[in-house]
Amino acid sequence: MPDKVLVAMSGGVDSSVALLKIVEMGYDAIGVTMKLWEYHDVGGNLLDDSNCCSVGAINNAKLVCDRLNVPHYTLDFTDVFQKSVVDNFADEYLAGRTPNPCVRCNSLVKWDAFVQQADKLGAAYIATGHYAKVQHLKGSSVLKKGRDTLKDQAYVLWGIPAHTLSRTLFPLGDLTKEEVREIARKNKFETAEIPESMEICFVADNNYKRFLKEYIPEKMSEIGAGEIVDESGEVVGEHSGYTDYTIGQRKGLGLSTPEPRYVSNIDPSNNQIRIGKKESLTKDNCEVSGVNWLVDNMSFPCDIQAQIRYNSPVIDATITQKDHQFSVEFAQPQIAVTPGQSIVFYKNDIVLGGGIIEKNY
Amino acid sequence: MSIKRIYCDISATTPLDPRIGELLTDLNEHIYGNPSSIHREGQAAKAVVEKSRRQIANAINAQPDEIIFTSSGSESNNMVLKGVLRSGDHFITSSYEHPAILKVLPFLEGQNIEITLVKPDKNGMVQPADIEANIQENTRLISIMWVNNELGTINPIFEIGSIAKEKNVLFHSDAVQAFGKIEINTEEIPVDYLSMSAHKLYGPKGIGALYKRGGTKLDPLIHGGGQESNLRASTENVGGIGGFGMAAELSTTNLEENTEHILRLETYFLNLLNEQNIPYSINGKKRIPGVFNITFHGVIGQDLVLQLDFLGIGISFGSACASGTVKASEMLVEMGLTKEDALSTVRISFGKIHQLDDVKKVAESIGEILKINVEEFANHAG
Repeated sequence: MPDKVLVAMSGGVDSSVALLKIVEMGYDAIGVTMKLWEYHDVGGNLLDDSNCCSVGAINNAKLVCDRLNVPHYTLDFTDVFQKSVVDNFADEYLAGRTPNPCVRCNSLVKWDAFVQQADKLGAAYIATGHYAKVQHLKGSSVLKKGRDTLKDQAYVLWGIPAHTLSRTLFPLGDLTKEEVREIARKNKFETAEIPESMEICFVADNNYKRFLKEYIPEKMSEIGAGEIVDESGEVVGEHSGYTDYTIGQRKGLGLSTPEPRYVSNIDPSNNQIRIGKKESLTKDNCEVSGVNWLVDNMSFPCDIQAQIRYNSPVIDATITQKDHQFSVEFAQPQIAVTPGQSIVFYKNDIVLGGGIIEKNY
Repeated sequence: MSIKRIYCDISATTPLDPRIGELLTDLNEHIYGNPSSIHREGQAAKAVVEKSRRQIANAINAQPDEIIFTSSGSESNNMVLKGVLRSGDHFITSSYEHPAILKVLPFLEGQNIEITLVKPDKNGMVQPADIEANIQENTRLISIMWVNNELGTINPIFEIGSIAKEKNVLFHSDAVQAFGKIEINTEEIPVDYLSMSAHKLYGPKGIGALYKRGGTKLDPLIHGGGQESNLRASTENVGGIGGFGMAAELSTTNLEENTEHILRLETYFLNLLNEQNIPYSINGKKRIPGVFNITFHGVIGQDLVLQLDFLGIGISFGSACASGTVKASEMLVEMGLTKEDALSTVRISFGKIHQLDDVKKVAESIGEILKINVEEFANHAG
């Protein structure tokens, strides 16, 4: 009997081709759409097929599974998603930080709840349509960047529990997005031309301010206008509420300055935004919390490569550990080292681990 | 390669009776006229519709002109609620009705209609006394389902109907889960409207009917041509109607025989569970034959449904929604089950299509899965 594989089907082109690959590899595939969110709870575009979890997306997943004669189920993960991802998303903005919900979803929903589901159904592996690779070696499994450097999604996978790597398959790791689309077209998948979803799935209109107002109306109503101060602490303007801003933001500040000014600090307790020149944004160091290692035997200090935003260039850095606290020193100063965002550590194309940027200095 | 499927979700829908399948093929091929047309083609189609109307009327001991064809049980339910209730009216229904009643309620509230929801008791039945206690001056309509879809429990429709009649209130019952499974006699039961659907009794999908007692009023939902005595416009679904008529006739003429067969399956199934020492409890008392809302302690219902599906057996869990996800039934929690037990509950429904062998396979598969789950549980605990 071939091994059972639970394939996460978002209803998009990537997971459709991932399923095809799993079937071609001879596994006993089971397609599962994880229902994470009810859009009508807090708005967004209900009809857009590119929204994962929408009825349209689920129906697309069902069609593709049916084409490949694979059973498909829609399983409810809305409770764990709300608790682990959406509530945290709101809390992080309230704390003046910029969260990365996809990272939390991968760690706490897909590679925790979903793997548990695989256990219960007797599935040996889970598979997703992420552009990343996992190499299964004797006794250990290693997470690597995908071949498509533009689409590589290893950055959002740093938080998955290390022990689940051995249970993971990424069938698209050696393909480019264009190749994936071509395969989908050739197989006449209903999902072949579905556009890329770039936004956060539960904020379908990409308007997180609207989302926060609808999701946590009481708390948001308490946050009013506040001061914008410059580096010397002088008040230079007024902002609409600190949650509307993110570190490094330049537009929408309503200031007319000879030189561009950027948000360099967000102070939720005083509802204050600090701005500065581009230089004020550059930092040499950051402290990292919630670190997760995907490889054994790390020793510190360690020279690594780091990435501080999705799709930003990888930079040389050194990571040190002191009393369970990790800090990173960049080889060159970095712009917009944003608290709440993920920092991911690499050795060439191997993902060593990652964490959340706590403080920069 | 492909395994023989055993479909045990009769309460969700039934496969077509092969005899009805043959009839549909014949009708689709030969009867294409519009029943309203004057020519022979129209006449032939009209004959199919009117024959079916008589078959359905006979099945529930009603008059042919008391039967209105609709597209579904859902449409029939909507038609009664929206066609009877008017601003200022009071409406009594139960909290465990089908969504085709419950999801109409916000619309009715928007029409300034007052609503009272009565809850089923711990046995999954609506108590007539609860209905009576809630009737007020402006109560226009009561709607209580004959048989609950999740539990298979049979409500005291005679008693509720009698109360309604005595208080001069109109009474509707969603009989979709009852029709063809238990006797329905409109001569004896004081009911003003009944919703029915063909696909629960081995007939085609997309065809339903409404019984409307002679003399009671109703406004149409779909206005247009004069079909169905001006109550339901649109060219008739002739094939579907023909199939429905045959389904009604087959299920009522063979009712005793089918019931006996299904009760035999039921006893056999429970014996097999007991022999394997499987811990279970059945929710709801006074059920229609073959429908089990059953809690298997120690397994998540959704996982059991999936694992049985892998083995070729189709059962259901909770109540399905549009996206295809299922959640634990809130109704069960209201009936007094713990959240854990509600999550461990599935619905298995057997029908005339099943044989003892099928039931045996189902019971043994459940036993295997439960054994695996219990072992896993023990391993995790250890």
